[in-house]
Amino acid sequence: MGLEPSQTSATRIINKLLPLLSILIPGSSQTLIKKTWRGISIFLITLILGYLVYWSYDNYEIGKAQINADKAFSWLLIPLVLFYLWNILDAFLLANNKKSSVLIAVLSASIILYVIGWSVTNVKMERLITRFDDARIVMKKLVNPDFFSTLQGEKIVVCGWDCLWDYSIARINGTESPDVFVSDNVGRIFGQKGTITAPTWTVLFGKATKNERIPGFETGKIVETIAIGLMATLFSTILAVPISFLGAHNIMRRIPGGTAIYYITRTFLNIVRAVDTVVWGLLIIVWVGLGSFAGVIALTIHSIAALGKLFSEEIEHIDPGPVEAIEATGGNFFQVIRYAVIPQIIPSFLSYTLLRWDINMRSATVIGFVAGGGIGFFVLETIRMGGYQQYAAALWAVAVVIIIVDYISSRWRFNILKDQPQKVDNIPTWKKVRNIVYIILGVIVFLYCWEITKINLKYLFDPGPTFGRLLKDFITIDLSTKVVNNVVRELIITTMQALMATTLGGILAIPFSFLAAKNLTGKSKFSAWIFYITRSVFNILRSIEALLYVAIFVFWVGIGPFAGMLALAITTYALMGKLFSEAIENIDTGPIEAVTATGATKMQSIMYAIVPQIAPPFLSYLIYQWDINIRMATIIGFAGGGGIGMMLSTFFGSLQYHKAGTVVLAIVIIVAVMDMASAKLREKFV
Amino acid sequence: MLKIENLCKTYPNGTQALNGVSFDVQEGEFLAVIGLSGSGKSTLLRCINRLIEPTSGKITWNGVDVTAATGKEIRNIRRQIGMIFQQFNLVKRSSVNTNVLSGRLGYVPTFPSLFHVFSKEDHDRVKNNLDMVDLADKIDVRADSLSGGQQQRVGIARALMQEPKMILADEPVASLDPVLAHSILKYLEKLNKEFGMTVICSLHFLDLVHRYATRAIALKDGYLVFEGLPKEIDDAQFKRIYGKEAERIEVI
Repeated sequence: MGLEPSQTSATRIINKLLPLLSILIPGSSQTLIKKTWRGISIFLITLILGYLVYWSYDNYEIGKAQINADKAFSWLLIPLVLFYLWNILDAFLLANNKKSSVLIAVLSASIILYVIGWSVTNVKMERLITRFDDARIVMKKLVNPDFFSTLQGEKIVVCGWDCLWDYSIARINGTESPDVFVSDNVGRIFGQKGTITAPTWTVLFGKATKNERIPGFETGKIVETIAIGLMATLFSTILAVPISFLGAHNIMRRIPGGTAIYYITRTFLNIVRAVDTVVWGLLIIVWVGLGSFAGVIALTIHSIAALGKLFSEEIEHIDPGPVEAIEATGGNFFQVIRYAVIPQIIPSFLSYTLLRWDINMRSATVIGFVAGGGIGFFVLETIRMGGYQQYAAALWAVAVVIIIVDYISSRWRFNILKDQPQKVDNIPTWKKVRNIVYIILGVIVFLYCWEITKINLKYLFDPGPTFGRLLKDFITIDLSTKVVNNVVRELIITTMQALMATTLGGILAIPFSFLAAKNLTGKSKFSAWIFYITRSVFNILRSIEALLYVAIFVFWVGIGPFAGMLALAITTYALMGKLFSEAIENIDTGPIEAVTATGATKMQSIMYAIVPQIAPPFLSYLIYQWDINIRMATIIGFAGGGGIGMMLSTFFGSLQYHKAGTVVLAIVIIVAVMDMASAKLREKFV
Repeated sequence: MLKIENLCKTYPNGTQALNGVSFDVQEGEFLAVIGLSGSGKSTLLRCINRLIEPTSGKITWNGVDVTAATGKEIRNIRRQIGMIFQQFNLVKRSSVNTNVLSGRLGYVPTFPSLFHVFSKEDHDRVKNNLDMVDLADKIDVRADSLSGGQQQRVGIARALMQEPKMILADEPVASLDPVLAHSILKYLEKLNKEFGMTVICSLHFLDLVHRYATRAIALKDGYLVFEGLPKEIDDAQFKRIYGKEAERIEVI
């Protein structure tokens, strides 16, 4: 609705006066002139910023400006007022059908957010330098992981790179040197001979009795992690498939009462998905006790929800033609699903399962922090004992496994999505034999994983004694002012951690992403090396979860939100670097050619031909990453990274379940809200 | 054989696709349904086998009230009426064999069919019907590796699996080039003349109507505006059906 000449004077007066409404209620006039989302956003942002300014001054005296001895105010009120004034200007401009820039709004909101963010996440950049000596010790240990050992007198010590170098020089020269051998640590990570609890098959064959300790091969922590990831993916896929049909509207509206089931399923999936795997881990250990099994269940639950949502959406996007055709032949509901729906969804389901496998493997590396089992538990133990070289070895093992998984998963997904037509029947004999071998191998792997993740379905139906209490406490959560205030504080810190980490990681990633873009570098031999090194750094850093990095920064800058923020920034840097560089590789080369043809320098062509093309995808990725970081920030506290996770683990540790319930609820709400906000924002930018 | 009385369809968004359409179809007819895009042709055909629920009106098929049929009854009616679609509606990733077999679903018990278990007779029917449309050699290939014309022939073979008394064809040749259009319509003509199946076919091009149809009806904005022999569509009728701006164009 704009001002058109034909409008009566009455509407013209209303249009003149309407913007005044925004003085009373920010955003109201924008809403009334059909810019609904803009209006609502302005209203909500004003409220949030106002609350943040008040809250931060009240709690931390952030932005305190002393007027005289007994009068002070928060100077953050200045950008807040600026935002409010912009809102009025915006209302006037829009009502008169003029363009209105959001620059002032973005600037003033950013000032408030970053000033508060900087303070509450306790950013002390100087610590990165003043405590650099501490960091150097950790770094030295990190680059010399405990893979090899040597003897120093009677003592076994880790043999780092310099020791290995000396050893190999000595071997080449044929001089005497102390022996170098593979460390025990490697055995703990990858597996070693030792004593184990008798596996089920030995019990079945009568070679041992139940729970007897017999000599055997101890499973390595990283193998256990792989098994957790595999089992969780398998179980969650099997369970998500039927659930996804309940969450697909085009299927459910065919049966009576289906629409109600559809809404219930979708809501349920969204709630389950909003709780991170690690938080599920906390709940599950109360049920089945510590161990790999708890990890498998926690991963499975979160994964069912994530896959269920993706699967449902995939079912909703099938071609309705075949459904119509099968219906027209007189086929019933089940036949329609079997012959028209299932054949269409198989490739995308497989592809999502592989993607989820990748994600589950990453989660499996950290689930041990709370649930026990896997490499996460190992990392937790080594950090507690200050064994940074053992910790480093674990990180390298994780990086290798995750990079391989990532490669296999993306390679298979690519092949599946190509989905080339081929003869369906008449499979040659060798392929039949091969398939049978695969199936047998699969079953063996499955049974092995079942064994080492200690899956015991009996535990599922026999919840721990405190589980009943947990359920009861969760229903009667603690909403007393003190608890709510504390939760709100940690929630704001967590959100700010995510914001700061996204900003820091994103800014760092931008220059490096240009180095990792094949179309920019990779022309000469030298720059090709830069390309490969940058890409490798991204890939290695990306393969390790933020939770595993926290220990480094806790040692470096001390326990607290700053350490957690830096850990998040590292993963952000790596993932954004990869995505940014891919976005750069996908740009249209035409404009570059044209700008270069005008005689522009390399920098000029980047500014005029590349930046305009990559700004929208960069922004979209950043918002996406911010969403991921919010989720990660809620758990970063489990390793000492501050924020709401620390609070949650304290409440759980001290069995204060009704308070823990409040925290979980807060996490669900913040994750769901941020998820919605980021989806809305990305929709707007892309 | 088929009697349609005062059929109306209003979509939830308020579009009135059909407004009191009434006509009869005799056994053995080749009835063409013509009209502009959006005139209600597809809706009409889909109301006949209740893929779309009519808002009001009555459809009688061999003495059975289609509009009143429920669940099992409607599936029994559907399996006697084959349907062919503009976009072929094959499951692209499934083999020709599976696509054709799926035409038999209305006859077979649910449980075995869910595991792809069909009788020997059904497998023989697949071979015969593919022979009929000259695609016997393509039985094992994936549907999406066929050309458009071949895919439509698989669509016909699938409809034949139902051993239908009547065939509904919703713009069966609109996605094909003119040469292929004739070849597909010749198959339908064969079914009509040699096997005595009633055919109701919506078509875009008048010359195809003249060439194949024994009778024609025309829809405009959901109203029946013409009913008669194809040759009765003169220039005046043509302008009534397609609007004043329309020009006759000829294809091959």
